[in-house]
Amino acid sequence: MIDEAGIRELILKKIPDAQVRITDMTGTMDHYDIRVRSAAFKGISLIDAHRMVSSALREAHADGRIHAMQIKTEIPENETR
Amino acid sequence: MNQIREQIDREIAEHTILIYGKGTKDAPLCGFTLETIEFFNRFGYPFEVIDVLEDMPKRQVLSEMTDWPTLPKVFIAGKFYGDTDILEPMAQSGELQKVLEEAFAGTGVRPTVKLH
Repeated sequence: MIDEAGIRELILKKIPDAQVRITDMTGTMDHYDIRVRSAAFKGISLIDAHRMVSSALREAHADGRIHAMQIKTEIPENETR
Repeated sequence: MNQIREQIDREIAEHTILIYGKGTKDAPLCGFTLETIEFFNRFGYPFEVIDVLEDMPKRQVLSEMTDWPTLPKVFIAGKFYGDTDILEPMAQSGELQKVLEEAFAGTGVRPTVKLH
């Protein structure tokens, strides 16, 4: 288990400008819907943007604190890909 | 490890659309695996689901070769496409339909549902 603040902190460590929205999908603190908006995703493929987020959470996923996650990444509206 | 990698390479070569997931097509054991099966049912092309839930060494090799920690993992024509978080936006933009048409071009396989 990990709380939303914990996830946010891990993502911000890797992607400092990230705007993060987290939803606990099951109420069990281990299935999360994670939406990240960052200019860091500019110019990279969607799959690499997702890798950036998942690598920030790699340990929490590997040790089981996060059982499942779905990720959405976005570029801020004033930026273009 | 090499044997596992060879097995994975064989499986990827054998199935144009391949999903590594938790459970089987008939009995998916994870919501995301089920979601991915339902996703591909929409397109009408044949696909294979390989259950790796209990196979930790294989899951480890798969995660390393794709740099993608979670299941399911989807391969189309040998290329890694992540999961429905990637495939759904691709389907919405029409990119996935092109990928599938190209992947099955020349195989004689036609989709059983209309794509457009």
